[in-house]
Amino acid sequence: MERIVKEIQESFEQLGISIPAEQIEERLDKLLTKFKVPEGEARRTVINYFSKEYGVEKDQLFKKQTAEKSHIGDITSSGQWLNLRVKVLQLWDNTNESISQVGLIGDETGSVKFIKWARDALPDLEEGKSYILNNVVTNEWNGRFEITLNKTTTIKAISEDVVVSSSSPTADVKIGDISEAGQWVNISARVLQIWDNTNESISQVGLIGDETGSVKFIKWARDDLPDLEEGKSYRFNNLVVSEWNGRFEVGLNRTSSIEPLAEDIEIRPSSFTGAMVGIQEGSGLIKRCPECNRALTKGACVEHGKVEGNYDMRIKAILDDGNRIQDVLIGRELSEQLIGLSLEEAISLAADELDQSVVLTRMRAELIGKYYNVEGSPTERYLLADTVKKVSELDMSIVDELIDELEVE
Amino acid sequence: MAGYTREVSKRVFAQEFRNSDLSFRDGDDIYSPQYLLTPTGAKVNRLFLVGTLLETENIGMENEYWRGRVADPTGSFLIYAGQYQPDAAHILAECETPAFVSVVGKPSTFTTPDGDVLTSIRPESINIVDEQTRDLWILDAALHTIKRIRSLDSNDEYISRAKEHYNTDAKYYSNMVLEALKILKT
Repeated sequence: MERIVKEIQESFEQLGISIPAEQIEERLDKLLTKFKVPEGEARRTVINYFSKEYGVEKDQLFKKQTAEKSHIGDITSSGQWLNLRVKVLQLWDNTNESISQVGLIGDETGSVKFIKWARDALPDLEEGKSYILNNVVTNEWNGRFEITLNKTTTIKAISEDVVVSSSSPTADVKIGDISEAGQWVNISARVLQIWDNTNESISQVGLIGDETGSVKFIKWARDDLPDLEEGKSYRFNNLVVSEWNGRFEVGLNRTSSIEPLAEDIEIRPSSFTGAMVGIQEGSGLIKRCPECNRALTKGACVEHGKVEGNYDMRIKAILDDGNRIQDVLIGRELSEQLIGLSLEEAISLAADELDQSVVLTRMRAELIGKYYNVEGSPTERYLLADTVKKVSELDMSIVDELIDELEVE
Repeated sequence: MAGYTREVSKRVFAQEFRNSDLSFRDGDDIYSPQYLLTPTGAKVNRLFLVGTLLETENIGMENEYWRGRVADPTGSFLIYAGQYQPDAAHILAECETPAFVSVVGKPSTFTTPDGDVLTSIRPESINIVDEQTRDLWILDAALHTIKRIRSLDSNDEYISRAKEHYNTDAKYYSNMVLEALKILKT
């Protein structure tokens, strides 16, 4: 708290206003201790209070806050103001309209994620170019630092190439431990799938897995890395984690390397636990083409036209754990078990009602709104279910732990 | 596949949902998704909840229009279903109360002539479930709410906006979670 008191005192001093430390401390302490207000909020509230008291514009205060010429390696807390000389290492795909650019910048001392907001209307950064960024602020997110550009930030392109530390903190991780975009990682994994790809700038895209899970990878055409083979295991060095539609993926880049491994990496079936929040059309009682086994739409196969189809039953379920969505494809046997209706029974039920959709209606009524754990093999969109279990145990140890934590807070 | 991705269902307790009154569109055209921002910074386009359906009433004139009240340990949600939500309306019409139900739906807000903002839910589906599922949801909602409360310090744009608008008191919401969790111990 002393640190914040001093900070506030100093920023007012720059404007020629001296406030006794006790006065600042008293207000801050009340907010932090009695009202348990978060530190940033308390700090802002106290600053707002004294700004009003002394008739100071808040902007004036914050502009006076001096950013120092510094390095990425100097970042030790959130709320630091910095001037950096950096190179843009990567720009990440970004679907959030309020963010104009997001990616990774580096200098001699390390690398860090940056965010540039659309509302600040700053010029765009280019990958591979170097810049001086004045007045950026540090921020902590999920235990890692990032820097944000803001409306007071200035961006100046420089012709020299900023040398970037090659000893960026790249950690050996298991796939299940990947927790954040911007992480640099080394992974030993098996190539589970290589997907069809029509994007010319992508050389290969697919799925790699280890004993803790699986993750999508992208290898870019420009990087000239060796091709991967499905089913083979490799050690991947220097991958960077990014996030796309709420899921992590790992990207290979110029600095990455791929070493084939002699031994196969163990893989674990993928698993997802969440509430079933929907069942898609195309579920229930369906007919398949006797030639190619594709599901028929309105009695016709896209390949073989109008055919006499064979009945089948399946569920295309949408699971949702509050953080992300997982589409799950559940085949005939598991579908039969889940709704307690065999394929034959489903066929005669549909015949009685003269309506094939009764089976889908029944699935929706029986299954939606409950929690399930699914294990299976992942594909680009669906998790192909090997087992589907209704979650039936409430973990009381988690409940007790949370109650203990909340009671001491 | 460009463009459409399904929105995740947020977990929010009734008390926090009821305290929410800031809705906005992410984008400029009428097809941009609509969100309700809650005091702890959940950006809600869709909700999943499980609770006790306490009462139902047909408040429609010519067409049936059903209102249901679903309670969780912290308060209650109002659910409205009419001719465009036939399956959900059917459940509200037929279901005997009280009953454990799960609801997947979209938040909606209504401003009264007095300027009060009322929040309610337009259901995509309502299902009858068991007590076990209700207990699982309380823990689920508690975990998500605690996570949001603990992120209140971050500079994330929406969290900042929520704090600015609601002047969010973290202690108030962690107490709410604590009280909800205690229900599981009784």
